[in-house]
Amino acid sequence: MKSDDRLRVRLTAAGCGLLFVLLAIWYGASSQNNAAAYLLFFALGSVAAVSIAHTLLNVAGLAAMVEAPKPVFAGDEVSLPVEIGNTSRRFRYFVSIQAADSGGEEERVDEIGAARAARTVLRFTAPTRGHHLVEKLRLSSAYPLGIVRATKSISTSQAYLVYPKPEGERPLPESFISTQAIRPDADTGDGDEFAGVRPYVPGESQRHVDWKAVARGQPMLTKKYQREVGGTLSLDFAKVPGNDLEARLRQLTQWVLEAERSQRSYSLRLPGVIIHSSLGEMHLRQCLRALALFT
Amino acid sequence: MNALRQHDTRIPRRPLLWLAAALVFTLPPLFATLAPWVPGLLLVTIAAKFWMEPRGYRLRSVVWKLVLAALALGAIVLSYGALRGIEPGISLVVVLMALKIVEAHTAREFLFMVMLSWIICLCGLFLAQSLTISVCLLLAFVLLLAALVQFHRGSAVGDLRPPLRLACSLILQALPLIVLLFFVFPRITTGFRLLTPGSASTAGFSDELEPGSVEKLALSPAIAFRAEFPDGKIPRPAELYWRGLVMWNGNGMRWRAPSAPAILPHRQDAVPGQTLRQLITLEPHGGRWMFALDWPVAAPSGAARAPGDYLWSWQPITKPRRYEVTSVIKRGSQELSARERALTLEVPRGITPKVRELAEEWSNAGKPEAVVQRGLAFFRDQHFRYSLSPGTYQKNDLEDFLFHRRLGFCEHYASSFATLMRLAGVPSRVIVGYMGGEFNSVGHFFLVRQSDTHAWCEVWLAGSGWTRVDPTAIVAPERISQGLDSYLESSAASGETVRQNGFGRALSRQPALTRLRLAWQTLNYEWDTSVLSFDADAQQAFASEFGVSGVTPFVLALLSAILLVLLVMAVALGLHLRGRSRPDEVTLIYRRFCLRAARLGAAREECEGPSRFARRAALALPKESARIARIVEHYIQLRYAPSPDPSLRQALRAEVKAFGAG
Repeated sequence: MKSDDRLRVRLTAAGCGLLFVLLAIWYGASSQNNAAAYLLFFALGSVAAVSIAHTLLNVAGLAAMVEAPKPVFAGDEVSLPVEIGNTSRRFRYFVSIQAADSGGEEERVDEIGAARAARTVLRFTAPTRGHHLVEKLRLSSAYPLGIVRATKSISTSQAYLVYPKPEGERPLPESFISTQAIRPDADTGDGDEFAGVRPYVPGESQRHVDWKAVARGQPMLTKKYQREVGGTLSLDFAKVPGNDLEARLRQLTQWVLEAERSQRSYSLRLPGVIIHSSLGEMHLRQCLRALALFT
Repeated sequence: MNALRQHDTRIPRRPLLWLAAALVFTLPPLFATLAPWVPGLLLVTIAAKFWMEPRGYRLRSVVWKLVLAALALGAIVLSYGALRGIEPGISLVVVLMALKIVEAHTAREFLFMVMLSWIICLCGLFLAQSLTISVCLLLAFVLLLAALVQFHRGSAVGDLRPPLRLACSLILQALPLIVLLFFVFPRITTGFRLLTPGSASTAGFSDELEPGSVEKLALSPAIAFRAEFPDGKIPRPAELYWRGLVMWNGNGMRWRAPSAPAILPHRQDAVPGQTLRQLITLEPHGGRWMFALDWPVAAPSGAARAPGDYLWSWQPITKPRRYEVTSVIKRGSQELSARERALTLEVPRGITPKVRELAEEWSNAGKPEAVVQRGLAFFRDQHFRYSLSPGTYQKNDLEDFLFHRRLGFCEHYASSFATLMRLAGVPSRVIVGYMGGEFNSVGHFFLVRQSDTHAWCEVWLAGSGWTRVDPTAIVAPERISQGLDSYLESSAASGETVRQNGFGRALSRQPALTRLRLAWQTLNYEWDTSVLSFDADAQQAFASEFGVSGVTPFVLALLSAILLVLLVMAVALGLHLRGRSRPDEVTLIYRRFCLRAARLGAAREECEGPSRFARRAALALPKESARIARIVEHYIQLRYAPSPDPSLRQALRAEVKAFGAG
């Protein structure tokens, strides 16, 4: 995570107001030749100037780390977990953070202790489908007096995936293929009917591991299930009517989700991409990813 | 401003608390000068806000806002008779603040209120600049900073102390800059001068003396002026007659000074051995007379000497003024012109025969000196009494005073004596000024209060010229020798006058408290003379002390800007250095070891752990291999052992020191 060391400072609206107040005090002091009013002018001006140093140092030297956000559908909210790290011995207060180019709202951290980090989650609306990058994070603070706002940009290269928005009125294409098309060994199945066990393959989901058997001292076994409904859906880009590419992808996304919800295995066919019929979370993600990245 | 918009819903309660506290400290100067309902309204709205805010109430209706604003405006016009002038103007600001408090509900409005509070601080300083008021406003200033800090500290309701601590440290860090700017920032005069507060124009006595006019000042502790004797010669208390105004026009018990006196040329015949230099810091009183000990020889700049030897300023004295004046204790030969003689013998028409008879009887004594003695004897022998509350004299006041009630304050004695002298053919006039004063042994200056106001007479004696005669000294000698305070005390002890709180007075005479009081007075004096009187002239004088003269405002502004930038950078550097994360000692020793190893040809890789590096270094430096092993073992112990032996650190340091040395 490389940080752009440049700190930028700009006057806030409150700072402009304070300048106006300072001007008024100066005018009052000089027109009345009032030494006490001059003192007030110097005190307020000096404190304001010194507070700029505090504001700068409140942001300087902060680092921000981004974690990978979960993929979302276009138009939904991306949650980007961020950690703001403070390596100095100074406490930092009231630091705002914003994903600059994503147009999300600012999040604010009230306090970061010495040599501590604070976590927050940035939320913004996912743009169009595809791969996106969080290129810049903007840390800013106006603490302590709110006269100036110091801003520090931190460049990151955190990518996130946006699936097409599921949308479309068309019903699922009911073209049935024989149950034989299912490769029973390839998957644990997601049906209701228990269909025996097979050895556990490292890396696969542990949801269907026969934990009772493990407790009895047997090796890890994965339970197999089979669906009663035998039909497989073939979701084919070519068979979606219409000319609008994006609209067709949205319809396919809708179908993929519907098929997954109704626990029916499905295959996805895009020009140049074929995903064989299957069911389950891995399969769903694979299909959604293909839809997101299709060009 | 994103952060604001996002959270711009409600004023957080804590910052509001700070703001309210700050506003309370801005009240004293307002209460002292403005119509009491104006700061009263502010106080009430602050209290109301704390009742309304938790309940979510606020002034919402635009109609009501307008009605309240119109009412307030009307009340200001009613109170002052106009909207122009400094007091109505300040009242307007305060009333605006009061209404804003009731109405405000967003964070943005909170910031506006803080800004308005700075302006109220400024208004307070327009009204009064004394040390007490300034300290009050300094407290308000700190609390306003704390309010801003709390506001920018987030919603977490924490301790009350951190914002206050930060506010104080901000001021302390800004202090060098404030002090430098005070000396360096160009003091140019801009714009029109606002009218000064009306209260200043009524301080002290006026140019008319009548029964009761001094008496009403007799209990006022307000400061008239402070005087230093730079040559160290301090006259006796009974000689401290501070000359203010000379009243030529007598009308029985009522005397008047000319409103625009003629101007005397600068006097040349001063006798050097007998002069007395005084450095006087005058509080504003709105008149044009200035004070000096009897008798001023030369006028300070900005003033002239008027006939009767008193000082007359070119401008009304509406702000504190410091001047040096020289007086002579004994005067040389004087002349009384025929015109002056006629003027000082002029008697009013409404003198009753009984009074006239008395004066004519005195005039039989012959020489003026003898007439004066007869007059004084009359006051001494006829049971006149000195009193703070002689009551009012109506018709035939002179006769009533001289033959019936015989009860009076200094103005009664001075005016009646001067009138009687004129009736007896001795030219006379009345002098109003101050008598005595409290000597501050800490700051070595005299503090003269309004309660020291005094009136006395001067008569023309052919041999010695104008001679001071103080009839009050005959009636109440202790008043002259001890000052009014002591006089009141002693008469209270004998049961004559019970006007003062005896206990409070006794308490204030405690040695410790007296010292404290004197120290506070000295501080006040320093504030008035060193800080408040620092203006463009003082700045030039200050610059010339450094051998620089004729500095232009442009140069000063440039210097101020440079100082500002330098000092802010210094503060930033200081903060940075203090906040830097410092590696602990063990890491530092290990780093030194790595550096030495690198110099010997075994540089540690960035990602290399200690034991791996030790193995490699031992191979590269076979002579030192045993020591390297020990060093790294110690280091690992110190770094990773659950509770390392503290003596290991010493051993590690020694080993690293020996490493590569031999």
